[in-house]
Amino acid sequence: MNHWSQALRAVDWTGWLGAAFVVLMLGSAVFAPFIAPFDPIEVRLEDRLAAPDAVHWLGTDQAGRDVFSRVIYGARASLTVGIGAVVIGALIGVSAGLFAAYKGGLGDQLVMRIIDGIAAIPLLVWAIAIVGILGVGPVQIGPVALPNEAKIVLLVGVLFSPVFGRVTYAVAQRVVRADFVKARLLQGARHRDIVLGDILPNCLSPIIVQATLLVAIGIVIEASVSFVGLGVQPPSPSWGTMLSDARSAIYSGEWWLPVFPGLAISLTVVGFNLLGDAVRDLFDPRSEARTLVA
Amino acid sequence: MSTVGTSPSATSSPLLAIEGLRVGFRAAGGGVIEAVRGVDFTVAPGEAVGIVGESGSGKSLSMLAVMRLLGSTAGITGGRITFDGRDLTALGEAEMRRLRGRDLAMVFQDPQSSLNPALTIGRQIADVVRAHRGVGQTEARRVAAEALERVGIRDAGRRLDAYPHEFSGGMRQRALIAMAIACRPRLLIADEPTTALDVTVQAQIVDLIADLRRDLGLAVVFISHNLQLVAEIVDRVVVMYGGKVVEDGPVETIERAARHPYTRLLRSCVPRLDGPVGPLATIEGTPPRLGRMPAGCPFEPRCPCREALCATEMPPLVAAEAHRLACWRPQ
Amino acid sequence: MSEPLLSLQGVSKSYPRGGFLDRMLARAKPFVALDNVSLDIHRGDVVGIVGESGSGKSTLASLAVGLIAPTAGQILLDGADLTELMRDHAGPWRRRVQMAFQDSSSALNPRKTVELCLAETLALRGVARAARRAEAHGLLALVGLGVELAPRLPHELSGGQRQRVGLARALAMQPDILFADEPVSALDVSLQAQVVNLLARLTRELGLTLVFISHDLALVRTLCSRLIVMRNGAIVEQGACRDVLDNPQHAYTRLLISAVPKGLAGRKDRPSSQNSLRGDVFEPPPTAVDHGVFTVQDLVERT
Repeated sequence: MNHWSQALRAVDWTGWLGAAFVVLMLGSAVFAPFIAPFDPIEVRLEDRLAAPDAVHWLGTDQAGRDVFSRVIYGARASLTVGIGAVVIGALIGVSAGLFAAYKGGLGDQLVMRIIDGIAAIPLLVWAIAIVGILGVGPVQIGPVALPNEAKIVLLVGVLFSPVFGRVTYAVAQRVVRADFVKARLLQGARHRDIVLGDILPNCLSPIIVQATLLVAIGIVIEASVSFVGLGVQPPSPSWGTMLSDARSAIYSGEWWLPVFPGLAISLTVVGFNLLGDAVRDLFDPRSEARTLVA
Repeated sequence: MSTVGTSPSATSSPLLAIEGLRVGFRAAGGGVIEAVRGVDFTVAPGEAVGIVGESGSGKSLSMLAVMRLLGSTAGITGGRITFDGRDLTALGEAEMRRLRGRDLAMVFQDPQSSLNPALTIGRQIADVVRAHRGVGQTEARRVAAEALERVGIRDAGRRLDAYPHEFSGGMRQRALIAMAIACRPRLLIADEPTTALDVTVQAQIVDLIADLRRDLGLAVVFISHNLQLVAEIVDRVVVMYGGKVVEDGPVETIERAARHPYTRLLRSCVPRLDGPVGPLATIEGTPPRLGRMPAGCPFEPRCPCREALCATEMPPLVAAEAHRLACWRPQ
Repeated sequence: MSEPLLSLQGVSKSYPRGGFLDRMLARAKPFVALDNVSLDIHRGDVVGIVGESGSGKSTLASLAVGLIAPTAGQILLDGADLTELMRDHAGPWRRRVQMAFQDSSSALNPRKTVELCLAETLALRGVARAARRAEAHGLLALVGLGVELAPRLPHELSGGQRQRVGLARALAMQPDILFADEPVSALDVSLQAQVVNLLARLTRELGLTLVFISHDLALVRTLCSRLIVMRNGAIVEQGACRDVLDNPQHAYTRLLISAVPKGLAGRKDRPSSQNSLRGDVFEPPPTAVDHGVFTVQDLVERT
């Protein structure tokens, strides 16, 4: 479409850089078995703590496992939690925010107070506390056994939902008052069509920005939860567990152990943030107009 | 009110003289898009001048240039602005700041956004007074109360402690005018000061500006798109279109015997209470877009009297006594 | 004359004021936006409503088109109670009363092209998919816009063009009565004239019943046959437009007339000083919207 190709051309290099980082990390996660030169789990004590060289590009850890392969496989856990939690959080939060803003009155109050309640305690405290209480390992909910990772995704997703709820609510409240919404009501359009067709699209930019920021935070949460030993369980790699394992190496000089998983986290976080800015501009119908001050 | 139609050119030294003013925006590609393209006119001491034109004509922008309040996206790209013998374009920011609010004051369209909602009205006026007169708090407050009184706000001493939200739209605009005149400026620029207000309040504000002008000997530049409104208080009208002055003359000439087709159309598309009922005169089409100015007369594409020459060559602004006109086919 | 197309009988609208506790204890008096207004509008009427902010003219329009329900009184559309009709949010009655809005940038969804905006409206009127495009183009022509605007987004249009699209959208429903709420007050004078002429043409050619809400008496005079003057939520004067303007009975009407800019003529009858226009005697009271009591709950009125 014309608008899109025009808008895409307006995306600047930071946006493309962000997109490149994100694609790189997503690619690593999906194609890990083809990219990783070594098995990320196999212990080879004879190769332990090798500095980066031609064979082990990023060196090896205390168990002789290839750091490069572990970083590549680690992208899976990190991105699953980051993206999965954001999708779940957005589904819950955006629906709640739209509902509260559109319906108003008592429903509005109720939904927003629940959201305030969840948001009153910092994310990370919630995450660690709940994982701590539920314990490590799969949770049995009725007949369904929820694997540990899915549990974390779901948990972080629920914790993300107030953020989405508030952002959506704040914008939607303004959009709901717009005359074009009144016009749709006057036409007898169905409430569902008004909410999804007229209100939601005009709330998207801040939601998308929020989503990319939260993917980054989700990755950090996964790392933190794993870091304290409540997340991804050894020996499977995640950037958080790798950092956790690297604690001792900080003093003993094996710099490659903390640096590379840390770098992976940073690049991904920065990548999602840059991408978020670009996508926001892309979704703003006035973005081309803004390049020329009128 | 002073006599209608005093010729400004007769006055020896103007208070404000704008010569060949050009204002441009930085374009996305790195070029400059000019929105004001060579504007000349003068304002004599104590004179009231109306600037009339549609949005995009460059009327507000040229006055923002006088105040040197163009912001970061626009800038003066040419010409001179002389105020009281000093070239404003050559002044440093510090000197300009001293001048602004003391000798030159401006009121804007939206009284809501021009006031700080977190400070009392009195504090905001007193701050201006202290900044320019170097007086103490008590004296500044006294001057502020006097200014509020002067703009017709009753019980001014008590209202000093009110916050902007406690004022109605009309009172906010009065408060802004009070802030503008508190330091006894010599020139007041009013940029569509009544557009956001109700009609009765509009009438009050227009009255107020006329009063202040008479009592304080202020020169006034009144920007508006409504010729009828402007004609009630100014001596002279400058009509702008496409970043240029197309006609300029005593208010009586502009109202009764305008010669530019644009001025005549602008006048006749506003209905009057005593005019005929029925379809209004219209100006077909839309004003030229920034960066897409026609090579010739900017009004040519919409002009009912255009001829071949109009499209290719900009007519010069020719003066005849107190009247100036830029048109190849004057009416 | 036959039965009125739209009839307001003793209609009031008030909004609760103050917080939850205030309301429970009935400590705060409700804000009365419209107070016991009665009014008949007949087929083919062109009615002008003038008044300043807070006069209740926009509340009246919102009530009459069924966006909000009255607190007291009855509104009859062709004899049927509008409050009853509103129970069916998407009922066929919706089509019959439409509205054009003041702020053209808020009136159109910034993400929908002109064509989509008109097509979805036509769909709701029940126009077959295949016929929508042609009819949308016909509507654009009706309001004096070219087909080349169809694929554009609202920000790619000028204010006057957006206002016309808003008008075309209202007309797409083939309404019996159109409320135009200050449709030109945000436009430049030359565009104002274009839109007013267009409205005049539509009333002539389509036999549209029009309620034109404005604060500009001179505009109302060129367009309307009937005039209603409102102040503080009540009608203070009404009658044939010419009669009211030539021979105003109410002091407020006279005040409004005296406030109309009159060009050179205005210089004489505006003796500089302290006349009745002065001071804040006539400062309008704060509106419901200012108080934040007019919210979306009222618009989405639990149906």
